[in-house]
Amino acid sequence: MMSILWPLITIALALGIMLTSASALVWLERRMLALWQDRYGPNRVGPFGLLQVIADTLKMFFKEDWIPPFADKTVFFIAPMVIMTTALLSVAVVPFAPGFSVVDLNIGLLFFLAMSSMGVYSVALAGWASNNKYSLLGGLRASAQMISYEVFMGLSLMGVVMLAGSFNLRDIVEAQEHLWFCVPQFIGLVIFCIAGLAETHRIPFDLPEAESELVAGFHSEYSGMKFGMFFVGEYLGITLISAMIVTLFFGGWYGPILPPIIWFFLKVFVFQCGFILLRATLPRLRYDQLMSFGWKYMLPLSLINILITGAIILAKR
Amino acid sequence: MIASASYTVIFYLLAALAVLLSLAVVNAWKLLRAAIALMGVLSMSAGLYVMLDASFLAGVQVLVYVGGIVVLIVFAVMLTRSAELLQDNPAPLRKILGAIASLAFLAATVGVFRSSPFLLSAEKAPLRDNTTLIGEKLLDYGAGGYVLPFEIISLLLLIAIIGGIVVARKTEPQGQPFTTGGDEAGEAEFRPPFTQEEHEDELELVEK
Repeated sequence: MMSILWPLITIALALGIMLTSASALVWLERRMLALWQDRYGPNRVGPFGLLQVIADTLKMFFKEDWIPPFADKTVFFIAPMVIMTTALLSVAVVPFAPGFSVVDLNIGLLFFLAMSSMGVYSVALAGWASNNKYSLLGGLRASAQMISYEVFMGLSLMGVVMLAGSFNLRDIVEAQEHLWFCVPQFIGLVIFCIAGLAETHRIPFDLPEAESELVAGFHSEYSGMKFGMFFVGEYLGITLISAMIVTLFFGGWYGPILPPIIWFFLKVFVFQCGFILLRATLPRLRYDQLMSFGWKYMLPLSLINILITGAIILAKR
Repeated sequence: MIASASYTVIFYLLAALAVLLSLAVVNAWKLLRAAIALMGVLSMSAGLYVMLDASFLAGVQVLVYVGGIVVLIVFAVMLTRSAELLQDNPAPLRKILGAIASLAFLAATVGVFRSSPFLLSAEKAPLRDNTTLIGEKLLDYGAGGYVLPFEIISLLLLIAIIGGIVVARKTEPQGQPFTTGGDEAGEAEFRPPFTQEEHEDELELVEK
């Protein structure tokens, strides 16, 4: 009986943790942005405005769920689901603590990359199905951006895979018991952070939804909970990228005194705050800058990183 | 018992979905819907790979085909007019060519099925956890290694990349460069789709 129950419990826990942290992140981002911009932020609903997220969710549920008459109805309906599904599926391979992950896949890292590469469909299909020129432009930008940065994301992680000798995320964490990979793989870490930011299309890479030129980009036509799913999907993406940075470069659950799971979430929290700080600091890139930065600097840098890592590993043998 | 039964059920589910989605690919009225159905077909085959314990292949299938190639197709479809596929009768020659192509593919598939021995016994089943084995085989230059095909493919890819650059890179525009509003960095990156002179020629043609 326990053999059936335990996986179900882990799935429920992982889902609960991720969704709660994603919605808490919405509140955290608004409060922190307010702090940095010298204003109050949401502080009326509940203590410190903590219940603001619940109020917003309720509001979104009761808004009219409108599909424009000129839209492709089926695809319009599917698009917001994809972003949530792929983000939540990736959570399955994240090792929260020793023995606490939904599945212990041997191709865990590949699975994560595959799911993040499928996330692009949500944005591209939303842009196309809205049948609106701003949305279409947003969708086009998103698909080109994500397909480019996915390449660097994959390549930046190959150094980690070479050091750990496995695609299994648990093995990768265990290989960092003595030295976190952020030291030998510093270039990989920087590239992964940038690529992860581009994959979640947040500032400075939020060209698909650049409000000063494209209204709201790919989600211009979305309202109600369908918009809410894009919204939550973005925060799930940040949580996931932070969790992956911690797993791959900062020793996952390892840390002194405190229990492993607490260490994991503490580290994730630090990176989530870092991503919010980035949003508060950086301006939006131009599209040609985005592409030339990716293909002219990130690609050669990640290839050189792989080459050097390989050479050092060979020399050490 | 339950495990093997659910295995069978999942297999038929994946197979049926793959067939249905393939039919949707060829019968869809909109190009983009065909592309989405294609994504479904490829994901189903990734599922079949997982059932065959080829999890690395499944991961790569999703990463490269579903997340890469079909996205490129979607990208290309979005760049074209989102008009419906032409529904009028194609020319007879195209019908004949299409029939020949599909018959040839059918013959090839049937031939492969008839000539390959299917291992039904569990004795010679492929190894579990074969990711390491794939890596070793790919770079093994002894007997049974695949380093030569691997290198040939990498050479082929290099040629394809250079070819792509040559095709995409037009000759230097001779006329006045297209300006993007005084931003020098942008101007350096921007290649106009046509030169000013060509555009004037076109305008003249239109006027005539």
